[in-house]
Amino acid sequence: MTSSHPRRFALVGCGAISELYYAPALVEVSKIIPLEMVALYDPSPDRTASLLRIFPNAKSVSNIEDLIATSPDLAVVASPAKFHSSQAIDLLSVGVHVLCEKPMASSVSEAESMIIAARRANCVLAIGLFRRFFPALQTIKDIIDKGTLGPVRHFHFEEGGLFNWPAASASFFQKNNSQGGVLLDLGVHLLDLICWWLGEPKSMLYEDDMMGNLEANCRLILAYENGITGDIRMSRDTSCSNTYTIEFERGRIAWKVGESNQLKLYLNDLPFDFHSQLCKDNLPASNYNQSFVRQILNFVSASMGLESVLVPGEEGIRSLKLIQQCYTHRTLMAMPWLTDLEIQGCSKLCAGES
Amino acid sequence: MTPTIAVLGASGFVGSRLLELYHLTGYAKLRPIVRNYSSLARLARFDLDWRIADACDQEALTAALEGCDAVINLIVANPDVIVANASVTYQAAQAAGIQRLVFMSSASVHGQAPAPGTDETSPLHTNHRFAYNNAKVRAEYELNRCRRRGSVELVILRPGIVFGPRSRWVSDIADQLLGNQAYLINDGHGICNSIYVDNLIEAITLALTVPSADRETFLVGDRERVTWFHFYSLIANGLGYDINNVVCLSPPQFTSTLFDRFEAVRTSKPVQALLPRIPRLMKEAAKGAIKTVSAPPISSPWRLPDVLTPNVTEEMTQLQLCSVHLPHEKAQRILDYNANVSFAEGIKRSLGWLQFAGYPIQLH
Repeated sequence: MTSSHPRRFALVGCGAISELYYAPALVEVSKIIPLEMVALYDPSPDRTASLLRIFPNAKSVSNIEDLIATSPDLAVVASPAKFHSSQAIDLLSVGVHVLCEKPMASSVSEAESMIIAARRANCVLAIGLFRRFFPALQTIKDIIDKGTLGPVRHFHFEEGGLFNWPAASASFFQKNNSQGGVLLDLGVHLLDLICWWLGEPKSMLYEDDMMGNLEANCRLILAYENGITGDIRMSRDTSCSNTYTIEFERGRIAWKVGESNQLKLYLNDLPFDFHSQLCKDNLPASNYNQSFVRQILNFVSASMGLESVLVPGEEGIRSLKLIQQCYTHRTLMAMPWLTDLEIQGCSKLCAGES
Repeated sequence: MTPTIAVLGASGFVGSRLLELYHLTGYAKLRPIVRNYSSLARLARFDLDWRIADACDQEALTAALEGCDAVINLIVANPDVIVANASVTYQAAQAAGIQRLVFMSSASVHGQAPAPGTDETSPLHTNHRFAYNNAKVRAEYELNRCRRRGSVELVILRPGIVFGPRSRWVSDIADQLLGNQAYLINDGHGICNSIYVDNLIEAITLALTVPSADRETFLVGDRERVTWFHFYSLIANGLGYDINNVVCLSPPQFTSTLFDRFEAVRTSKPVQALLPRIPRLMKEAAKGAIKTVSAPPISSPWRLPDVLTPNVTEEMTQLQLCSVHLPHEKAQRILDYNANVSFAEGIKRSLGWLQFAGYPIQLH
């Protein structure tokens, strides 16, 4: 894949996700498709400085208008979620293709505005739900769609653990910056995969442990028209198995979170399990980092009209809708170790929220 | 007036429970202090006035403590930080005008298996086998030295095995039982000097408020005399696991490997002071050589796979060899400490947390 003119790239938000993921992935992509990083934006000059070491020719700007003035063709929006919508719309409206980090927006209405802006501008709006690029998860999609193991019966997903992302600011944990806790953070990936694999559920029960700010634990119970049931647990507080298990009529698949090219397969009535490394043409399928690179390649190629974008805004909004539904109908999780006086205190805090 | 209390190490398991209890009951205005943004995850369930500060940075800690009445030091860290943080916290508290500091030491200052008759008056030493024990002793020495010169009141608590929601003593034992990796030394007859986390918080609360507690150190624990068998069997029961399946062992002999001895020398203070002057390549070569020499032999391809056996640690063995129920008469006498939550109730609430955390608890 080549192009004579380098695609002009801009990066909005220079936090941990940009430094640890986007920067190295963009460097790798630029070896395949010529890219030129033209602008970096972050309100913190320290954050911008760390990215300038990787992209020394980029211009450090202090607002989106100055960034637009550098005439980028494409931009990654990786700022705190509450800024995604306004920044993406500003960029799309002047014809800049946008890859927006997850969650695509703070609310469904903001996400809808982004989709409209992309359609009006005839620009690509891709959402950074990059797990869809994992070969293991694409394989699960195929197994479900083709009925390889028969119909799905039940699924049990657990994800999280004591929070260890090297957050560069407190925005993750402040309600005025992040409109949700663990559900918004991890659930946006997890629910995106559920929507992609099985579609939207018929009914959903949701509970969490938010007591005045943002939840650290949550649980969901889902049911589908065709009888499939599922239960989900997410946590930033306690260890989880970090395994997605899907039970089919003829067996079971288990996927360990983060293992982009490995699956465990359990076939009914067989004495042994398969712990499989996915390969194609004798080569291992893309690993975690390579999948991230493939996401950006897909975005850049889509912006050039060479392929369709794998996770457009219309797909990104699906998990956001489920999350909004969860928060609307949330109930407080039972915490049996709390004293009666504490439970009364919880009720007061939760009443203050509603 | 509601006091403002700073909690150092607020994201740990005792800190998390303390924040829950104090915040939800309105006992105090809280100022959680943690070392980085990521540590806010647990406490962000509540809308609290938190601060970020390095436990060894006196200036940052002083700023974080400004406006507080008292500070509870619950920091969990490596031995060097435990020692360094002790005087830093005291000096920061002094500079910030804090009235009282409650320091969480540990009953392990007396060793994992203390001698009969051990109480708060028993002499301490820094020749324990575990660096953690020595660090807690040194931290107590530092704090008592600071108290002699400073005006911030000081209370030191020495709990034993603190269990409850989010405690490793609960989740690790549950994991070991479910993975058939649990073990008991000498049939679990040893004494587990347990303290349910809410009882520890009862002691902290009294330590914050009882005037005559200043300059005192207290051993604190549950009312009951609990054996390790009892502790394991109640968790096993909650999980529907047959306690008779737990492996019972005689105490094994622990010998240090060449690598352990190398590490002990490498991490010693004099060597650490010298290390920056030694070229990196030389250091890596030495480490690599020691690792190669002390690596386990390559398994024969003819050998059948081993059945998983428990990973018996020296610390756990020592703890299970304990024959002494540490007293808390002094805490009862001076603080009016009662250990209000019974051991059985503490286990019940811990099992409730295990269920919350996704463990297959079978409630009876």
